[in-house]
Amino acid sequence: MGTAEHISKQFEADLDTTRTRVLQMGGLVEAQILAAIQAFATGDATLVAQVIENDARVNGYEVAIDGACNHIVVKRQPAASDLRLIMAISKIVTDLERSGDEAEKIARMAAKIHEHGAHHAQRFPAIRHAAQIAVKMLRQALDAFARLDVASAAEVLKEDSELDAEFRSVLRQLITYMMEDPRTITASLETVWVAKAIERIGDHSKNIAEQVIYIVKGTDVRHTSFADIEREIAKD
Amino acid sequence: MTALEIILLLAAAGLGIALLRQLRELRKLRRWASQPRLSDPPEAGGAWGEVFNLLHRHRRATLKRRRELAQLMVRSRRGAQALPYGVAVLDAGYRLDWCNDAAREQMGLDPERDRKQPIVNMVRAPEFVEYLRAADFSEPLRLGSPGGGRTLSLQIVAFGDEEHLLLSQDVTGAERVEAMRRDFVANVSHELRTPLTVLSGFLETIQDLKLDAGRIRDYVGLMAPQAERMKRLIDDLLTLSALEHAPPPDAERIFLQPLLQRVRAEAEALSAGKHRVSLEIAGASDLLGAEREIASAFTNLATNAVRYTPPGGEIRLRWKLTSSGGEFSVEDSGIGIDPEHLPRLTERFYRVDRGRSRETGGTGLGLSIVKHALARHQAVLDIDSTPGKGSRFTARFPSARLKAAQTVAG
Repeated sequence: MGTAEHISKQFEADLDTTRTRVLQMGGLVEAQILAAIQAFATGDATLVAQVIENDARVNGYEVAIDGACNHIVVKRQPAASDLRLIMAISKIVTDLERSGDEAEKIARMAAKIHEHGAHHAQRFPAIRHAAQIAVKMLRQALDAFARLDVASAAEVLKEDSELDAEFRSVLRQLITYMMEDPRTITASLETVWVAKAIERIGDHSKNIAEQVIYIVKGTDVRHTSFADIEREIAKD
Repeated sequence: MTALEIILLLAAAGLGIALLRQLRELRKLRRWASQPRLSDPPEAGGAWGEVFNLLHRHRRATLKRRRELAQLMVRSRRGAQALPYGVAVLDAGYRLDWCNDAAREQMGLDPERDRKQPIVNMVRAPEFVEYLRAADFSEPLRLGSPGGGRTLSLQIVAFGDEEHLLLSQDVTGAERVEAMRRDFVANVSHELRTPLTVLSGFLETIQDLKLDAGRIRDYVGLMAPQAERMKRLIDDLLTLSALEHAPPPDAERIFLQPLLQRVRAEAEALSAGKHRVSLEIAGASDLLGAEREIASAFTNLATNAVRYTPPGGEIRLRWKLTSSGGEFSVEDSGIGIDPEHLPRLTERFYRVDRGRSRETGGTGLGLSIVKHALARHQAVLDIDSTPGKGSRFTARFPSARLKAAQTVAG
């Protein structure tokens, strides 16, 4: 076996390991979001504590993966598609870390809302519905990253508008509650923060999906209309 | 030229020809062996023919063995495909080699696109990653399915050369039954214990303290409803157990109109004028079945509506004939039920709001009784509800349970 081949094999292995770590970080963030939403629905204090504690692990992943990316760039000086992959990974990791922060925020808000009396949250299935959409988007974006599946990444971009619509309807509902019964204002405002955090998770998932398209196609589709993106994907 | 020279020359020519022939056969063999896909070996005579024949036989045997192996593989794949478990074959690095349809569905794997991906790239739950890392596979791992909403039991089995099988099984149903059984015992004990604590508290007080007759009468007055509550709970438990174990109900005629009037009267009695209770009968018909069971189901639905509707609300009882049979519905303008509770509503002791149910005299068994009683008449219970707006409970009977109405004398 030649030295060059050996080096490229080692490089290949480094990339694979990093990819798997990104996906594991994604799995952890997904679990964090689910736990945070569960805490919002039930007010389970141990769950809240667990989410807050686990956020340190999410941050740990970010630091470690970023370090690995830098290491690969410096040592191997990758070009073309490999470089794109490394750059996309370091952006994806940022989005995952922020999603993790949003999950922590939801958990903290859940604790506050349940201090004010739990019944308001229990009767708010719209939030949980929005959260389901957000988690599904994140999962699909990560699947698309694992498979480098552009079509599935494009679907995530489409779902983001569905989530935005859901967010607006949650807001309308909360405004109605607040007008009907001013005693719910405090809890409602805190619920708005939860809804906003869910909406942000959707945005981060969308960013991840855009990075997948960038890895495969080499085109930057950020700030591009969906119709244009679809045209771009159909090319070649 | 001497005779010897001629003989030598002829011999040389003969050897040359023989050599050429051998070389030709050798070339044939070479050409045959260099084909990418082997065909039958060439024909030849003599010693070469024997070699070719041996090769021919050898090839046939190889082909046959290969076919058998391929068939065996197809058969075993088909067998793995037919298993009710999700099966994924993983290589030494826990990378996916192959998986069946159940694994595809339960774990979201794609046997084509995910081939040679580390399994943790697709099944990313931290518990699973940790399970693989710890490499202790003596116990299966319970995990929420990646799609959400279901519970999977995952287990790794090692086989062959550091290869692994990942088995997954959907245990959502089993887990629910388990939880129900656990809850049931805890709930019955709790429900009986609460009134009993009150009773024994009063009994001790009466025994220990010298109380005047009026005081004792007051205490007894407080004790009676607790005893009544225990009796109601035990009655409901016995009803439920009878419904579960009794033979199928008789097909006696149930006169529906008077039955519905009675149900309405009971609802009105419980409401004590606090609600508007209406009864509408669209399409007269009688039912075939056990009257006691049907009456208890309908009364339960109607009194539930009264319990969960604030004063001033409306309760509409309605019987109507449909294309597939008949249905009895109870609609209220009450507090409604959050959709997440609907699937579990007919479970024993399942309560959306514990305090409220007990305070209105519910045992937590009403809807279980309704569901069982209806199921014994091949009827189903549908629940529609909007939180804050109200609920509608509908019992749908198949046409086989209906009988043209007969008016009762009097």
